[in-house]
Amino acid sequence: MYRGLLPGLAAALLLAGSATRAAEPPPNGPLGGPPGASSCTGCHASQKIANSEIPRIAGRKAEDIVTFMRQYRSGAWPSSVMGRIAKGFDDQQIDAIAAWFAAQPE
Amino acid sequence: MSTRRHFMKLGAAAALAPAVASAQGAGAGRVVVVGGGFAGATAARTLKALEPRLTVTLVEPNPVYTACPFSNSVLANLREIDQQRFGYDGVKRAGVTVAETSVTAVDAEGKSVTLADGNKLSYDRLVMAPGIDFNWTAIPGYDEAAAQKMPHAWKAGAQTVLLRQQLQAMEDGGLVVMSAPANPFRCPPGPYERASLIAYWLKIWKPKSKLLLLDAKDAFSKQRLFQNGWAELYPGRIEWVSLSQGGKVTSVDPATLTLVTEFGSHKAAVANVIPPQRAGAIAAQAGVADRTGWCPVEPVAFESTLRPGIHVLGDAAIMGGMPKSAFAANAQAKVCAAAIVELLAGRRPQDPILINTCYSLVAADYGISIAGVYHPDKGLLADIPGAGGTSPLEAVGGLRGQEALYAASWFRTITAEVYG
Ligand SMILES: Cc1cc2nc3c(=O)[nH]c(=O)nc-3n(C[C@H](O)[C@H](O)[C@H](O)COP(=O)(O)OP(=O)(O)OC[C@H]3O[C@@H](n4cnc5c(N)ncnc54)[C@H](O)[C@@H]3O)c2cc1C
Ligand code: HEC
Repeated sequence: MYRGLLPGLAAALLLAGSATRAAEPPPNGPLGGPPGASSCTGCHASQKIANSEIPRIAGRKAEDIVTFMRQYRSGAWPSSVMGRIAKGFDDQQIDAIAAWFAAQPE
Repeated sequence: MSTRRHFMKLGAAAALAPAVASAQGAGAGRVVVVGGGFAGATAARTLKALEPRLTVTLVEPNPVYTACPFSNSVLANLREIDQQRFGYDGVKRAGVTVAETSVTAVDAEGKSVTLADGNKLSYDRLVMAPGIDFNWTAIPGYDEAAAQKMPHAWKAGAQTVLLRQQLQAMEDGGLVVMSAPANPFRCPPGPYERASLIAYWLKIWKPKSKLLLLDAKDAFSKQRLFQNGWAELYPGRIEWVSLSQGGKVTSVDPATLTLVTEFGSHKAAVANVIPPQRAGAIAAQAGVADRTGWCPVEPVAFESTLRPGIHVLGDAAIMGGMPKSAFAANAQAKVCAAAIVELLAGRRPQDPILINTCYSLVAADYGISIAGVYHPDKGLLADIPGAGGTSPLEAVGGLRGQEALYAASWFRTITAEVYG
């Protein structure tokens, strides 16, 4: 099934150890996050809410978020919508967004 | 809180505000937000979250907001209208003062707004998010009285319930006629999601009935995905008449439920007329709407290009490549709130990136989407090339079912962020 494929594959690739290095969180990052970050929370809940099929990303390890975004962007990992979204961001922008989410409370 | 007490509090706040603002120093100030929809409610609470010292007043006449996304599912009996309703308790808990009234006038020079009772509120920055109003003169015969016979159901609430009742009361075999307006309008894929879900419901409850969709356009959002879905799920049930095939409605007769086009006339058993639209009326009064009826803004803080100090968000604004959607309204509001905090502190806001995604249901368990990523480019909010697009035409392994689940998750997530 489409859905089962994804987390399994993703986990395997993450375990394989990505060489990606995430940027340091900006000391006092621009209010509201780096460009693009505030749009992510339309789907990835900023607070804990019951009952969402879309995983939260706040408080996740920055390098994991970076890996997901790059793999979605290249199409290496299948996705329903993230591939189309990730293609709008370059490496630096992804690093900044990942660092910002990593610094948010889980 | 009673309305009276509320006004007294507002009056006092407004009178004290200048002294308070100077005492607070740089970084604080007064922001008034007009309209508590996806754009306005998001802007108000984000402002407060980013800069708690701000005095933020949200002016909205309705005590309960009725959300349009997923209201097409109410028509198809897949949801109840109560699931579309959200109060302002969460917004109040976030520290926003909610004034349950409407703004009747904006004085851009004097930086103040007049409320329905004559009270005034002063501001340092004004955010206008009044959504849409209908152009009641665009289709001869279609006025507010006609909408009681031929509902638009394009502002969710009583109109949604009326259209659902009419569908349920219709005889099996009756013809449903919808009309869709030319661009731009609220929710570009919305009429086609509605046609899909009405067909879904007809197939079960009124199997002899068909739907005719008269369109003032030759192309529409996610067109191939919708049309493939219709052919697959509802063969022969939905007939789409494009502009060049005579789809533009030139007048209606509510007494006989007749829609007239240049090529003929269509008598409906149930008629759903989605009329042409423009920014909510207060935008024109404030001087932020141009001759198109919509509000031009710059692409970084969404400040009006016609009236400095006023930011316009959501459906009311001309947002370059971004469509008029709840997702976009929420995304714009978060960017605008951050930009206003910077501007009030005397700093230059960063160039933003925004995402939009519109999910649509072709059936209860059949979802499709269109996405875009946007940034300022030559003074406009433009698509970032290479990003975005629609769901694939060929779906593998349960993708449509999964997107239907993601659509519902999106709605729960965004309404929790805005109203929760
Ligand atoms: C059938 C349908 C389905 C849709 N489905 C989707 C979907 O699946 N996904 C999606 O993203 N979008 C969807 N939309 C679009 C979405 O509903 C709108 O884009 C969104 O509501 C825009 O938000 P807004 O805040 O700009 O305006 P609104 O939500 O209309 O809010 C405007 C608010 O301003 C208030 N107001 C107006 N004038 C004044 C005044 N003078 N003083 C004070 N307050 C005032 C109004 O009372 C209202 O509460 C759909 C729309 C429809 C009709
Ligand atoms: C329209 C809704 C939507 C938006 C907006 C969105 N995402 Fe996603 N995201 C999803 C969905 C759905 C998935 C599951 C993969 C898929 O099918 O696309 C996902 C998966 C992810 C994952 C993997 C999470 C996991 O544990 O499996 C990450 C990381 C992620 N998104 C980051 C982001 C970032 C960063 C942004 C903003 C730049 C963003 N997303 C914006 C819907 C969205």
